[in-house]
Amino acid sequence: MMNSLEAAEVCKSYGGRMVVDHISFQAQAGQILGLLGPNGAGKTTTIRMIMGITAPDSGRVNFTYDGQRMEGVPRHLIGYLPEERGLYKDAKVMQLLVFLAGLKNIPAHEAKAKARMWLEKLDLAGYANAKVEQLSKGMAQKIQLIAAIIHEPKYIILDEPFSGLDPVNQDLIKAEIRSLAAQGAVILLSSHQMNIVEELCDQIFLINGGKKVVSGTLREIKESYGSYRVQVESAHGVEQLARLPLIEDVQRLGDTRWVLNLKDGITPEEFLRSIPEGCRFDELQIVRPSLHDIFVKIATGGEKQ
Amino acid sequence: MSNTWKIAKWEVLRNLTNKQFIIGLLLTPLIMVAFIAFPLLLNHFNKPEQVVYQVVDYAQVMPLLQEAVPEHIVLEAAAQREAALAAVQAGEADGYLMLSQEFLLTGYAELHYDKISQSAFEKLNAALTRVLQQKRLELSQLSPAQLQFLTAPAALETIAVNEVKALDSNEIIVSAVAVLLIYILIFTSGSMLMLSALQERRDRMAEVILSSVRAVDLMQGKIIGHFLLGVIQLAFWITLALPAVVILTDFPLWEAISASNMPLIIFFGLLGYLLTAAMFVGLGATMEDMQSAGNSQGLVIMLPTLSFIFIAPVVQNPNGVVAKFASYFPFTSWVILTVRDAIAPVSLGEIAVSSAILILTTVIVIRIAAKVFRVGMLMYGKNATPREIWKWLRYKEM
Repeated sequence: MMNSLEAAEVCKSYGGRMVVDHISFQAQAGQILGLLGPNGAGKTTTIRMIMGITAPDSGRVNFTYDGQRMEGVPRHLIGYLPEERGLYKDAKVMQLLVFLAGLKNIPAHEAKAKARMWLEKLDLAGYANAKVEQLSKGMAQKIQLIAAIIHEPKYIILDEPFSGLDPVNQDLIKAEIRSLAAQGAVILLSSHQMNIVEELCDQIFLINGGKKVVSGTLREIKESYGSYRVQVESAHGVEQLARLPLIEDVQRLGDTRWVLNLKDGITPEEFLRSIPEGCRFDELQIVRPSLHDIFVKIATGGEKQ
Repeated sequence: MSNTWKIAKWEVLRNLTNKQFIIGLLLTPLIMVAFIAFPLLLNHFNKPEQVVYQVVDYAQVMPLLQEAVPEHIVLEAAAQREAALAAVQAGEADGYLMLSQEFLLTGYAELHYDKISQSAFEKLNAALTRVLQQKRLELSQLSPAQLQFLTAPAALETIAVNEVKALDSNEIIVSAVAVLLIYILIFTSGSMLMLSALQERRDRMAEVILSSVRAVDLMQGKIIGHFLLGVIQLAFWITLALPAVVILTDFPLWEAISASNMPLIIFFGLLGYLLTAAMFVGLGATMEDMQSAGNSQGLVIMLPTLSFIFIAPVVQNPNGVVAKFASYFPFTSWVILTVRDAIAPVSLGEIAVSSAILILTTVIVIRIAAKVFRVGMLMYGKNATPREIWKWLRYKEM
């Protein structure tokens, strides 16, 4: 079974302004692809084109199912959790889930059984007959996730699935997303929570201003997006280290804490070899820039290093 | 089941179990009964005040005059002016009427009053006129046959030429009630539809639904669903009203219904619903809430009420220029043409042209609404301006 989702040279403009500009990526079955970018980068437009809610001006979105390329958007095989989401406030939970599953061609009796199973799994077993307006925000979020996956979709598109969730529920949802990927779903995930993306995603695709900035595995992106940084804890200062020619710049974070950014291309080994004799420090960590740092750099218009 | 029908079914079931809908369903007939009963009740309690007049009758017409006045005007004979005046001053009468011997010649009479209403004056004057005419005819020494001949009213009979149907007041009543009911159905269903589209945006459900169905399916489903809800409402009210009409009145209901042009009323009603529904659902997709609806949106809401401006001139002159214009103008034709047809039969040619214009307009409005709906449903947080809507209309097909 080889399922995949591919965006090929997809473009979209509104009122003469290009909001998605020749975007291409591919996600395979069992893989979680993180679609990242600052606000207004074109993520939601890209997702809406994948969903067939809007059509690309040029380029194609291809769904391959069981090795066969599908015609159009196989809506019944897709589970979608949009960023702007809600629930009918006056509807009952079970009634709503059965209706939404029905739109994906799931018969009512089957939908009810699946809904019960998911409600139990996500600690909502007692709320099947509750009205949506009686639910807390976190509960409603979980109902929305159930609505997106109740029909066992082969392609799952999650736009900010963790917003508004507490850490306990975040862990619960993370586990479910991993499980869905392990069962062979193609998962496209968009989120601003970089720590979660780092934890979950196998592949990352970063866009800004409608254009691709960087893509690949987390490791590849970190490699291509920046030099190492050295975090130092020392009561004696870092003057000696700061004078080294392989240091780009130094930031003081506190009385005894510093960050030294290494010049592009300098490896940790080279830095370690260059530490002068007698240089004293309590702690020293050499790390790649976090996804958060890369994201912030892109969002604020920083150049690729 | 197609997605359109799934949406329609959802809209129907959700609303049928909604408290507000059920309360509206039950309360509306009560309100309508109250609207009919309240004026009748007021009328019952608002009988004209009784007035008493002394009559100094030298013309000797008192018995005839007493017969000619309504019940609330009480006439009492007085021998002389002084006695009559004394009765008024003592508060026993509200005035006195002086009928001299010359009354039958001159028609002149005097009412000296302490209290009089315009209505009492008009009624008394009319009664005096009738008495005067009757007495004068008697004095002319004509035979009873001649008198009957002179006073017989004209008899105007309507005879249809070329087998055109004759006017029937019962048919007009049934047609008018049917048009009114369809109008109520269209306006209430249209408004509910608009609120439903608006709720879809407000509850942020649009994108969730649009990930499963096409925008046009969602729009069609809503239009059909709210139409069915309207029909259910109407059927419920008619089921209550029909037995009441049959039992409480002697109105020949079935004859009048079979004589009226119901297929035409239903055909134009359906088209009117589609046109209004498309406008309202498109409009709902451009609004964040009712309170902040802009002027242009308010104007669209008012469009279906335009027909009422034309009703009076159309009833007065059913084949005049105004009536013809309103029968062709698509935003009024679905009401005006059926009203006209009930009053004075409209030619098949006119019906065909009017239908063609209405169908064409409905198709265009549905297409525009579908475009606005597709984009509008995904725009959150504000009402759309006319400029934005114009921009949406020029977006490429999605």
